[in-house]
Amino acid sequence: MAEPQLRLKNVHKRFGKLEVLKGVDLDVDKGEVICILGPSGSGKSTLLRCVNLLAPPEEGEIFLEGQDICKGPGSGTGESSWNLDFVRQRVGMVFQQFNLFPHKTALENVTLAPVTVLGKSKSEAEEKGRALLERVGLGNRLGQYPETLSGGQQQRVAIARALAMEPHVMLFDEVTSALDPELVKEVLDTMRELAEEGMTMLVVTHEIGFAREVGDQVVFMDGGVVVEQGDPKSVLDNPREERTQKFLGLVLER
Amino acid sequence: MKVFFEQYFDFHIMGEHFGEVLEAFFQNLLIFLVAAIIALIWGLVLAVIRQTPGKGLLPLRFLTIAYIDVLRAIPLLIIILIISGGVPFITFIPKDIRIPEWFGKSDPFWYGVAGLVFVYGAYMAEVYRAGIEAVPKGQMEAARSLGMSHLQAMRHIIIPQAVTKIPAPMLNELISLLKDTTLVSVIAFGESTLVSREILAERLNSSALILTAFFFLVICLPGARLVDILIKRNQAKITRGAHIEVA
Repeated sequence: MAEPQLRLKNVHKRFGKLEVLKGVDLDVDKGEVICILGPSGSGKSTLLRCVNLLAPPEEGEIFLEGQDICKGPGSGTGESSWNLDFVRQRVGMVFQQFNLFPHKTALENVTLAPVTVLGKSKSEAEEKGRALLERVGLGNRLGQYPETLSGGQQQRVAIARALAMEPHVMLFDEVTSALDPELVKEVLDTMRELAEEGMTMLVVTHEIGFAREVGDQVVFMDGGVVVEQGDPKSVLDNPREERTQKFLGLVLER
Repeated sequence: MKVFFEQYFDFHIMGEHFGEVLEAFFQNLLIFLVAAIIALIWGLVLAVIRQTPGKGLLPLRFLTIAYIDVLRAIPLLIIILIISGGVPFITFIPKDIRIPEWFGKSDPFWYGVAGLVFVYGAYMAEVYRAGIEAVPKGQMEAARSLGMSHLQAMRHIIIPQAVTKIPAPMLNELISLLKDTTLVSVIAFGESTLVSREILAERLNSSALILTAFFFLVICLPGARLVDILIKRNQAKITRGAHIEVA
């Protein structure tokens, strides 16, 4: 059995006195799509931010392709360690608020990091960027600035921007939550295609339909721990834990 | 009334000394230009150091904050006097730095530039800081998540956005800096204030000072208007932005 692409072991994260993650274990195999559900404040987003060290965990271990990416328990920061580059170039992230660079065109948003971080030539990066924007259905929007794009288009640019770094793992942090309902589908379709191409994905979402259809596993978190985990059918249709049942009841009621 | 006009608005004296005062005023402009360029860069450097992350750079960050606080708390006039009154006598400093005469300008010119840069660098660092802090946090996170270093993110993402948010307050600093070049007169640099004071002493008449005031007015008034226009435009942008978020 090959080692998992990503392995979290007893991950703890505190902000001051507030302990947001209270020991999370999670294995993600290559090509797997893990959908993380849970009420707000349950630590879902923090978990993603631990994985790419935007918020390095205080305790526990995270292995990415076998490498321990945390400096070690208690050190608190991955800053200035070689692991940071290792992680950021293998893990892409898409945010709820898009966070596109407003002073750059769609194409520049996609090409900036490959040029500055990977040292690619401008023409090489642009060729790749064009192809990526084409792939997310925005081949005709290359020169437009983010504020002239709809939320769904912006989020697709953000996905293309993350893909430009050729990540091995993609993190999606409630990427459809800030979108108008009619724009959600185009973003989910893009993510679905990505999943079909075999990308390893960690998806924090409230889209139960997406989790059911695309997810290989569904993880339910509450209070900083994984409450329940399994294939979508069993977790979503026959949840064992009371907290999962309660949450799904509230979400599916709508 | 006649006495008043003769004392302040003697056009004969103004005419006689016009060329002299104007030439001296160009010295104010020159010292302003040199000090402004260096201070704009120095302020940015201070602001960027202030925003560095991590524990390792904490001492540097602390030093920078101390510098900014202290230099803003001491009167510029005192700073200029401290520099010009002491630096020339600190013999372990190389003579070229101790008594600078670069580009054919005298040492009072450079002491003045130094004082202005030290103090206005601190002020401008605070203006830059306001701009940097006005850039949404997600921008830095997005840049970092793409593998950019903190400095790369600063250079390509944060600072280009920060500077678009601060032209109005920065222009205020620049106007203030231009006016404060008159303080360099106390260390015998021949700018317009010094020259008009000499004329005052010689002719017992203040008209040359009024002429100097007029020159500053001509340069600074359009600047002040420009600040207003920039502030209005920026506010329009903010309300537009807020509108988009609400919609």
